[in-house]
Amino acid sequence: MSVLVWLAIILLILMVVIGGQKGVRSFIALFFNFVILLVSILLMADPNIDPIIVTLVATTILSCINLFYINEINIKTKTAFLSTMVTIVFLLLFIVLVTESALIQGFSEEQIEEIKGFSVHLGVDFVKIAVSVIIMSTIGAITDIAISISSPMREIYRHNPGISRKSLFLSGVSIGKDILGTSTNTLFFAFFGGYMALLIWFIDLDYTLGEIINSKIFSAEMITILAAGIGVALVIPITSWLAALVLIKFETKEVEEEE
Amino acid sequence: MRRNIVKQFMTRKHIALYILTVLLIVGSFWFVNHNHQFYERSIAEIVEVETVQSEEVTDPHGNEDQLVTQKLKGVIQNGDYKGVVIQLDNEYAESQVYDHEYSVGNELFVSVDSTDETEDLTGSILDVKRDHYTLLIAWAFVIILLLIGQLQGFYSVISLAINALIIALALDFYIQTTNISLLVISGVSIVLFTAISLLLVNGNNEKTYAAIVSTLLGTLFLFAVTAVVMWGTAGEGLRYEEMQFVTRAPEMVFMAGVLIGALGAIMDVAITMSSSLFNLYEKNNNITNKALKQSGMDIGKDIMGTMTNILFFVYISGSIPMIILYLKNSAALGFTLNMNLSLELARALAGGVGIVITIR
Repeated sequence: MSVLVWLAIILLILMVVIGGQKGVRSFIALFFNFVILLVSILLMADPNIDPIIVTLVATTILSCINLFYINEINIKTKTAFLSTMVTIVFLLLFIVLVTESALIQGFSEEQIEEIKGFSVHLGVDFVKIAVSVIIMSTIGAITDIAISISSPMREIYRHNPGISRKSLFLSGVSIGKDILGTSTNTLFFAFFGGYMALLIWFIDLDYTLGEIINSKIFSAEMITILAAGIGVALVIPITSWLAALVLIKFETKEVEEEE
Repeated sequence: MRRNIVKQFMTRKHIALYILTVLLIVGSFWFVNHNHQFYERSIAEIVEVETVQSEEVTDPHGNEDQLVTQKLKGVIQNGDYKGVVIQLDNEYAESQVYDHEYSVGNELFVSVDSTDETEDLTGSILDVKRDHYTLLIAWAFVIILLLIGQLQGFYSVISLAINALIIALALDFYIQTTNISLLVISGVSIVLFTAISLLLVNGNNEKTYAAIVSTLLGTLFLFAVTAVVMWGTAGEGLRYEEMQFVTRAPEMVFMAGVLIGALGAIMDVAITMSSSLFNLYEKNNNITNKALKQSGMDIGKDIMGTMTNILFFVYISGSIPMIILYLKNSAALGFTLNMNLSLELARALAGGVGIVITIR
């Protein structure tokens, strides 16, 4: 059996042993995510469909799975979902701008060996593909933070129902601050782990600093990491604001109804 | 009275800090926009673009694209030919898989071919100058982090910078001393990374020590599991030949990449769990060991799925362009996925294993 199958089995066993039913759900969600990612890649390969629209639809479905399936549908996950979408749209505008001007789409000089023999006249807009790649790689982190903020905010509101909207917002931001550092760290290491080989290549082939910084693959990588970081930071005030608004407006009703 | 002075001092310090930041930003932008003389390669700024030809092409796989030829006029910004006009030709396909559409204002690295005194220079395009875009987004990142995270944001930026420095130094050291294994070096740097980032982000306290120990244990287990699986199956199903940019033994590089890639996520989990468990313990000193373990598991269950997801998306999305290239070249879907995703999936799965072990 291959390494992949073994790793998947080990992951499944560990998740089930530790997480029980929730573990099974997480594993199934992971599988669904994979399927949706695949379908969206297939759709992106069609020249008649705009990759950015595919990305938007895919991220909507993906965050639905990750929020509503792993957790349940409730006010926490609904606000988290809403804030994820708002953040993605903000991020999208920003990334489109940078990608178009920095010319980081497609493959780089370093990859020419690998794409040799392939036709590169594909008819698919690779600028948009580059944007999609950046968005897709951050979606996991953004939903994670959105739910980690909205869920304790609800607890805070439940324990102090008289809290003002502003102080609820502030407590959301302060929760966010605590996770900001570790989340940017997570992303940072994930990217660097993936690009270890590239870094070794740069040093081995005696690239000068100027050549590294201006090379397409390095700039693309840096821009992805930093855009992911920006997304992770942006989602904090957005979620806090939305959750404060929604909780005070709707939870009050619910509490009254319960009483 | 005293508080007042402190307050005044603080605001003054703050103002100084703001001014310093603004100066840094302005200074660095000025630098990247005027650093042409530091580059050895000639840089030309495009001042005129003319599309001379545009034709439709259909490749052997039935993909339709538009092939465009541009004539560019640029002014050289550095070196012996500074200020001289250069003529460049550029051909690109509309999809821009490998080539670029240039527009006025782009700065390109060029090589100068003819040096006929009477006419404009001619040359060819080597690369694009991208440093100012990277700088722009880097500042945007730092500013947003500082605005939202304030002091914690500042520490995060510092710890990211230190970590990047450690990676660079460790790799440099590795290249220079060929007889030390990459894994040993990654091991040492992993210990450094963990200690520095957790201390900086989380402060010097018991929670942090607990998190550091569990991170290292988690990473060690992850290493053991991955190594056993890879060794037991002799690396079956992993397509090292598709790993990009390899100048060294691919297994080693891959393994080191897996460990460092999962490290951030493992740290994240470890710190979340240790700080919430310490919190519980502080609130209720009589809590039994068993109950504490139980609530630890409960918290772990909640974050397990999302953390695995983060790694999953980071790794898989990077291979989207390559998959599309394969697909559009009529490669079979199964083959494409096997070629492109085996390493990425292995990474994501191994990372997931590491996360779950740490929760344990």
